[in-house]
Amino acid sequence: MKINRHILKSLLLLFLFPLAIGAQNSTEIFRAAGSPHNPKVKISFNRYYTTEGLATLSKKIAAAHPNLVKRKSIGKSAKGKDIWMLAVTNYKKGNADRKPAFYVDGNIHSNEIQGGEISIYTAWYLTENFGDNEYITKLLNDRVFYIVPTINPDARNDYMKEPNTAHSPRSGMISLDDDRDGLFDEDGYDDINGDGSITRMRRKNPHGNYIVDPQDPRKMIQIGPDDVVTTQRYEYLGNEGIDNDGDGRINEDTHGYYDPNRDWGWKWQPDYIQRGAYKHPFSLPETRAVADFVLAHPNIAGAQSFHNSGGMILRGPGAQEDLATYNRADIRIYDAIGKKGEKMLPGYRYLTVYKDLYSVFGGELDWFYGSRGIYTFTNEIFTAFAYYKDKNGGRNQQYDFDKDLLMNDAFTPWKEFDHPTYGKIEVGGFKKNFGRATPGFMLEEEAHRNMAFTFYHAYHMPNITIADISEKKLSGGLKEVTVTIKNDRLMPTHASQDLKYNITRPDYISISGVKVLAGMLVTDVDFNVTKEQKVNPKKMRVRNIPGSSVIRIRWIVKGNAKFTVTVDSEKGGFITKKSK
Amino acid sequence: MFNKKQTLPYFLGLLICITSLQISAQSDYSNYSKLSQKIKSLHSNYSSLSKLEVLTTTVGGHKIWALTLSRGNAKNKPAIAIVSGVDGKHILGPEMAVNIAENILKNHADVLENTAFYIFPNMSPNATENYFSSLKHYKNGNAKNTDDDRDGAVNEDPFDDLNKDGLITMMRIEDPTGAYILHKEDERILTMADKNEGQLGKYKLISEGIDNDKDGKFNEDRKGGIAFNKNFSYKYPYFKPGAGEHAISEKENRALLDFLYEKWNIFSIITLGPENNLSAPLKFNAGGAKKRVVTSILKEDAALNKYLSGKYTKITGTKDAPVSTGKGGDFFQWSYFHFGKLALSTPGWWVPKVKDSAKKASKNKYVNYLRWAKKENIANAFVDWTSVNHPDFPNQKVEVGGISPYKMYNPPFKMVTEISKKHTDFILEIAKIQPNITLQNLKTESLGNGINRITVDVHNKGLLPTHTEMGKRSRWLRKIKVALVNLNKNQQIISGRKITLVTSIDGDSSQQFTWLIKGKGTIRVEAGTSHTGIDTATINLK
Repeated sequence: MKINRHILKSLLLLFLFPLAIGAQNSTEIFRAAGSPHNPKVKISFNRYYTTEGLATLSKKIAAAHPNLVKRKSIGKSAKGKDIWMLAVTNYKKGNADRKPAFYVDGNIHSNEIQGGEISIYTAWYLTENFGDNEYITKLLNDRVFYIVPTINPDARNDYMKEPNTAHSPRSGMISLDDDRDGLFDEDGYDDINGDGSITRMRRKNPHGNYIVDPQDPRKMIQIGPDDVVTTQRYEYLGNEGIDNDGDGRINEDTHGYYDPNRDWGWKWQPDYIQRGAYKHPFSLPETRAVADFVLAHPNIAGAQSFHNSGGMILRGPGAQEDLATYNRADIRIYDAIGKKGEKMLPGYRYLTVYKDLYSVFGGELDWFYGSRGIYTFTNEIFTAFAYYKDKNGGRNQQYDFDKDLLMNDAFTPWKEFDHPTYGKIEVGGFKKNFGRATPGFMLEEEAHRNMAFTFYHAYHMPNITIADISEKKLSGGLKEVTVTIKNDRLMPTHASQDLKYNITRPDYISISGVKVLAGMLVTDVDFNVTKEQKVNPKKMRVRNIPGSSVIRIRWIVKGNAKFTVTVDSEKGGFITKKSK
Repeated sequence: MFNKKQTLPYFLGLLICITSLQISAQSDYSNYSKLSQKIKSLHSNYSSLSKLEVLTTTVGGHKIWALTLSRGNAKNKPAIAIVSGVDGKHILGPEMAVNIAENILKNHADVLENTAFYIFPNMSPNATENYFSSLKHYKNGNAKNTDDDRDGAVNEDPFDDLNKDGLITMMRIEDPTGAYILHKEDERILTMADKNEGQLGKYKLISEGIDNDKDGKFNEDRKGGIAFNKNFSYKYPYFKPGAGEHAISEKENRALLDFLYEKWNIFSIITLGPENNLSAPLKFNAGGAKKRVVTSILKEDAALNKYLSGKYTKITGTKDAPVSTGKGGDFFQWSYFHFGKLALSTPGWWVPKVKDSAKKASKNKYVNYLRWAKKENIANAFVDWTSVNHPDFPNQKVEVGGISPYKMYNPPFKMVTEISKKHTDFILEIAKIQPNITLQNLKTESLGNGINRITVDVHNKGLLPTHTEMGKRSRWLRKIKVALVNLNKNQQIISGRKITLVTSIDGDSSQQFTWLIKGKGTIRVEAGTSHTGIDTATINLK
């Protein structure tokens, strides 16, 4: 009985202090610079998490930091899974909904998984460092982060749990008729060797164009026109699969296929123009959920989406036809942040989608910028540079890296099988988690650097202060009040695209507590050039507070009462200051 | 207690009364509830030939109806979708759509053997209700609150009925800074002064109302809502009033598309709305057709459009239609450029050209309308200019007047029956020539030793091609599938493919297929797809 009671007590303790038990005794650890040194929530950043795994982690983070995180589902996926969002800020300071906001998401392409882990790392890093690190504390006092680790939860799981290549599904999980034969997803991949990955099929063929590399049996060498071949020739037969529907073709209607990153409502084009488009803008429940969330949060001033791979920091326009949307004033801001990113992310290049990658319509970053005036980047995580931290890694580096650093974990050796159409074949190749997904031991570093890049971007969202209120006596009991409003960061409260179309409302600068006779925007303080607002001068409507500059508002008021000045900007926040 | 025996005849009697009342008493267009009643009773009177569904309920609380007409399962029967109420000022459309459905069910039910119809009578019920309200003015949008002038305030500058006549017309303000003068042919109408003709502007011309928010603009942010016909993805008018924040943002637009995308049997979409490619076909432009983002009808489709436009003009006996090809964001252009279907559109009616004593028609559409209205004795076609006191023009002469809303876009109600009948005839003609895949000249030859050669022509019996040129590119039209099905274990295909997908077959054209089969027993050939009909034939191999 006594023993039992002890067990009960310790069990009770376990339930009461699960987090305390999770953390290590502070005498046992030594702080490494720049990382949370004894976090409440323990997470391994050398592996990947399924949709449920990410959901569990975000729940733990939210539970451990109730004053810093609100966790909310912004909608359901096609298969009914929640799309979880973490709103991270210091809820004890200011109105969370009115702080300039930074939006982050990952995994729009289901096989491009790192965004999920980078998002979790970001939420974890912010919460575990708050109060400990001054930069992070200030960031969460002034800004709010909306973090959505996966916006393709259905197919993230399919990628991880079902046989796939490194490039599939990319799509979401809504069935589509790819070959227009009236059937949906009737001829997908088949995992012939049962390794959970779709690797490649090869067959011995005296007329084939390949041989096995005599120095590396994993590798195939293409035969040149002048080569004399004395060994067994092979042919490639494509990705693992059989002709499931008997139409004489293999793998011609796999799961999906549509591209969620062609579903966004800026200059959207249908599938015959833009391959991968689904039915219409925001026809997918996942992209629709994000769009509805963004439309309901006009405080979002900056955004980041995570893809893989290739080591790129991408900005729009996505399509050549949309060149005119991006004008010089905004490109200057993109350039400043993008160039910084190149430095922070070795091996990454700052590029423009339409000219450096491909010219596409209906992408996420174009909708964020074109339709909402939000400065947005897409990062393509992981680059071949990472294998040997060398730009000129050579042709064999993937094979070498697998052997030298991954202890052959990334490759399924070739093995013989019987194929219903091709007869005796061999199946093998790199597994789906290699080539695009960052290998485990490098994942934390890649997550950290990408997060730091988003912090730099978020830092340069508008930061508005009422720098000065000066008063000058006029005759007849009148007073001239001049207010200087300062934005000391790169971004204006309205991007030039926003100004062009009045996407978000003007900034309101109001005075209360005093009788106002006239109000004006001071356009030249030295020569006293002003622009009067004839209607309702108490609430001045200002089109924009530009980046790294000040604006001045002047009121002619009657009497000597104390007054309050308020700046109310959708992307710049809500700031008040009382007169002296 | 409820007595079934007694109440049934009573209800029947009441029903007959209501129905006959409607038929005899209707003298004006049907409002939403009356039209809904008509649709429901049409469905219940022909329940074996029709299916009635609610696509969605709009933000304004109106149900959007989808009426399917078909004898038996519609799934693999070539189908025509008829969509109306796309534009709020076109009251004729919804009425016509319901009349057409009624005509088909009542007088042409045999067409439902081979053709299905999906009819969406009114996609803008919140807007069309305005015609029936106590303050009539044009309205296109749904009931969503919108900031039309994007200034941060919502609905802050509506129309104002200054002359209290229950109509929103125009205001003319005598002002030397104005750009308008009185029209020579009819002084009730104002027209832009032409400097080259030495004319000086004398009037400002503004819609009836006050500048409620004092921003210098009149009536620029009324209860606008989002317009069905501005919310589609082809040439979507970004940031324009009534367009919404992105294409297909509204429940009714989305519900219609989600419905259409699931109906693989639709080969044609007929819009009863402001756009018109039936009186004058869309013109092919090689440059626009070649671009990545296609802006011209494709060449083969232009020829097809011309052919069908000829039929339309002949069957409906119409002429002199104003040109109207879509303003962007409209449903008609979407149905072709983004959906790839055979897209046809007509307003059904327009003001006929009226010649004056010198046998000349006016180039001014308002002058022409007033001449026609006079000829037809249309009551209250014009609200005469009367002076009002206007707070925004305290020392100026302000008069309110103009053509009554809706009258220029909708014929007197008595004409609707005849218009509907002629358009039914045109739609029946489209059904008659619809794509129709059949198997012809099926032949089996024995080569001996248990080998047979099967030959068949897959023939499109219809005059219309199975796919528009645009439809060939679209993943939303299936290919024609030609397949051997139910092969038994002993049968082997020596030559030929078990399944072949054909991109398209022209009208009255065919493609020949041949197979060598070893082994006895029955074998089935199947050809076609949802929107062309599927034909099958069984062969017994010996």
